[in-house]
Amino acid sequence: MPRLPTFAPDCTILVDGAPVPARRGEPIAVALLAAGRPLVARSAKYHRPRGAFCLAGSCGSCLVRAGGLPNQRACRTPCGDRLAVETQNALPTAAHDLLGAIDRVYAHGLDHHHLMTWSVLANRAAVAVSRRLAGLGRLPDEAAADAARAGAAPREERWDTLVVGAGPAGLAAAEALADAGRRVLLADQEPAPGGRLRCRLGHPGEPDLAWAARVATRVTQAGGEVAPGTAVLGLWHDGGSALAALEVDGPPRRVRLVRPARIVVCTGGHVQPPAIADGDRPGVYGGRGLAAALAEHGAVPGRRAVVLGADAEADALGRALFAAGMSVERVARADGGRVLGRGRVRALALAGGTRIPCDTIAVATPPVPAAELLRELGAPIRLDAELGAFAADAAPDGATGVAGLFAAGEVTGAMDAARAAEAGRRAGEAARG
Amino acid sequence: MAKLLLCACEDVSLDEVRRAFALGHRDLESVKRYTGFGTGPCQGKSCLALVARELLRLGATPAEVAPFTVRPPIRPVALGALAAIDPAVLAIDEGVPVGIDGDPSPSWTAAPTARIAAAHPEPLDEARDGRGADAPEARSRGVPSRADVVIVGGGIQGLALAYELTRRRVRDVVVLERGYLNAGASGRNGGGVRTQWSTPTMIRLARRSLAICDRFAVDLGVNVWFRRGGYLFLAPGREQVERIERNAALHRREGLNTRIIGPAEALEVVPELDASRILAASYNPDDGVVFPWPFLWGYARGAEAGGARVHTFTRVTGFDLSGPRVTAVRTDRGRIACDLVVVAAGAWSKEVAALAGVALPNRPIRHEILVTEPLKPWLDPLVSVLGNGLYFSQSQRGEIVGGMGDPREPEGVALGSTLRFLARFARGAIDVVPRLAGVKVVRQWAGCYDVTPDNNPILGPAGPENFHQVSGFVGHGFMMAPAVAELYADWLAGRGKDEIFERFTADRFAGGPIAREDFIIG
Repeated sequence: MPRLPTFAPDCTILVDGAPVPARRGEPIAVALLAAGRPLVARSAKYHRPRGAFCLAGSCGSCLVRAGGLPNQRACRTPCGDRLAVETQNALPTAAHDLLGAIDRVYAHGLDHHHLMTWSVLANRAAVAVSRRLAGLGRLPDEAAADAARAGAAPREERWDTLVVGAGPAGLAAAEALADAGRRVLLADQEPAPGGRLRCRLGHPGEPDLAWAARVATRVTQAGGEVAPGTAVLGLWHDGGSALAALEVDGPPRRVRLVRPARIVVCTGGHVQPPAIADGDRPGVYGGRGLAAALAEHGAVPGRRAVVLGADAEADALGRALFAAGMSVERVARADGGRVLGRGRVRALALAGGTRIPCDTIAVATPPVPAAELLRELGAPIRLDAELGAFAADAAPDGATGVAGLFAAGEVTGAMDAARAAEAGRRAGEAARG
Repeated sequence: MAKLLLCACEDVSLDEVRRAFALGHRDLESVKRYTGFGTGPCQGKSCLALVARELLRLGATPAEVAPFTVRPPIRPVALGALAAIDPAVLAIDEGVPVGIDGDPSPSWTAAPTARIAAAHPEPLDEARDGRGADAPEARSRGVPSRADVVIVGGGIQGLALAYELTRRRVRDVVVLERGYLNAGASGRNGGGVRTQWSTPTMIRLARRSLAICDRFAVDLGVNVWFRRGGYLFLAPGREQVERIERNAALHRREGLNTRIIGPAEALEVVPELDASRILAASYNPDDGVVFPWPFLWGYARGAEAGGARVHTFTRVTGFDLSGPRVTAVRTDRGRIACDLVVVAAGAWSKEVAALAGVALPNRPIRHEILVTEPLKPWLDPLVSVLGNGLYFSQSQRGEIVGGMGDPREPEGVALGSTLRFLARFARGAIDVVPRLAGVKVVRQWAGCYDVTPDNNPILGPAGPENFHQVSGFVGHGFMMAPAVAELYADWLAGRGKDEIFERFTADRFAGGPIAREDFIIG
């Protein structure tokens, strides 16, 4: 059962020329996952099979050529009828890539620094051959490149506060700011606000999506704006204060320049791939991305899932996949294990020898903080021992030590949605000024 | 066949990270450069924490796992989108990220490391004790109390000179680098190497360097991916046409294969060009591009094999002087008595020389640069637009690497990145190759040109008689270093003094008019 019954496909995309049913506007990666085709590309060096992983625009696993543009994230690029999608870095296609032999020939890895350094002629050959093999997508088509040009020059917008990320923390921060009459721009790269609430996993104590809608109204009433489909590309210094460049998903794509008096960063985290042998196989997904694809597009990734993770979120994800008709096994840790299967996951072999047949592995371990924006402006970070990752070092009220810059939610460390919302509210109150 | 990948974008495995560590690349910035992890489309979002955890397991200190510098943009963005931004409305300032690159003191706090270790399979034996069979000792150890020669600066100038000295039996050499290898301009440049210069001296040096590049992988045992794809200088106006014609005449006299070609022929070299933007172009098929980082690893390893010692994360704090001589170099890891000091600190040379009371005329000026997503090979030469300082080439990995100088850039060491640069570069690049509008930028950074009044280097003693300079290369130090190091080592080892050491002296600016190099890019 690739789709829940209420989510019927309404268009067809062409993947390497073959028709794949899809729903208009859903990401290419979701259409492929619902169609049971997780393979989208071959990897950069070893030509290993690649599929979408995070389904949230943070990893680089699902790059395809779409509409004449190379290296488009399949998890960010919406489907349209007859959209031409090509798998990349493969001879001829990702499904049948002759260069996949590289992975077998260099079974123990390829030391490119010392490859063919024994003679000048051999070395020249190595340079020539490796250049032909390098790179992912081909140069854009002319028409597609023209269409990628944004229109008129953006004028600088002034806002009281820019809140980055419309998950529980960002929503709560924006609400607190709007309640105090502040003009807030709440930007989120996802097509809809809610962040992890969009997974609809129904944790006890977690705010629901209706709250997200109420916050949006509240923000708008106070003269602010909720901007989904709007990614903050970075924070730059410009003339002594921070200037944000935002990219609005098209069509047409456009760039906004935003100069906020204050910034609240609620960017959450990035799901990490499992650090196990062959953990990069197609069919291994970030749990939240999978849950959102299921909830919003009815996409069921397969028949048998392993959910990796030990906390309540992993429990809830397992229940959601089970409710969608999948058999579900829970594995708290898979350290020392190995993924079996090549073009797609076939089983998870654990270190102790247990082999769990599956076609889907959903990673529900806590994400690592997405602290990039904070670090651009010099906010201190700390090594979070529990998480094994770098997290924003923010005070309880979200203060980062950089004037006017606040952080709340999972960007400061692992926490559930209810706590993230509470932290966001405190940061919003502190950012009122 | 099973592989445990820590970085899926660049296919970097756990074993490769362990091997890098065993070879002495212990800090995250160095491991990133050696393995390539974190340099792909995700820019470290899926791998930084995994690699940091592994390094801690292998015995790296918390300071060594200070996360590598975050680089804007935080998600890839098409040049066509950036070109919409009017750079004229954007100011120039110190840029982001705030905090200085290569600064060994981390701006973050570390929790105890024991609890962080993930349960990976046992590390390789060579990794566990921190070094492999041919690995150097950790380079961030205490310094010796004495050395014949101390070189300040572990960029390509300093390391190449150390290597060439050891080949001439001057073995008691210490190189001091304040950050990791490749932290300075040697690790930040676009990797262009060309013979198209405007004076016979520069042409001679460049030719020698290109010959060294040809053999570097074999002689120093590490790939530098030297590819002779040519250099194509575009001349949009009459003034630039006159410049390239003048230089081409010199190039012919010097026996170079430089040709002045029209727009139609330029299209044959780069079919994606908008040839209507140019009147003519200067093309030399023998010029090329390299991957800069391995030069430093190769020279450092070669110098160490010859007896020199390379100390990273070691900062020079002053010099001891006695009469007309420097007697010792003071560092934050101790004092080194020495017979000779060579300052090869690039944009920091002025600062370092000032510690000995020597005033250099050098001016550090930031130059910004970016890299795009990797594409299949389509661009052979390095393309440079005369008049606006734009240049770009395609790296061995397929990325477009490009920069553009900014006439409004003030003097000073600054390594931050600006949005203004992204907008300027995007507009300039699309102007000459319209299809670049659909190509996405993944990372931007900056380095410093070390500018002198005549755009030529400063070589030889300045101030104290045993206080030497090799600086002021105005953005082309990387490509000149291999040749200059040979000549410099010849001189210091008593094997003859090349005319460059008479020509490019520190005191030449006190005299009359000076011949200015006018073929500077960027």
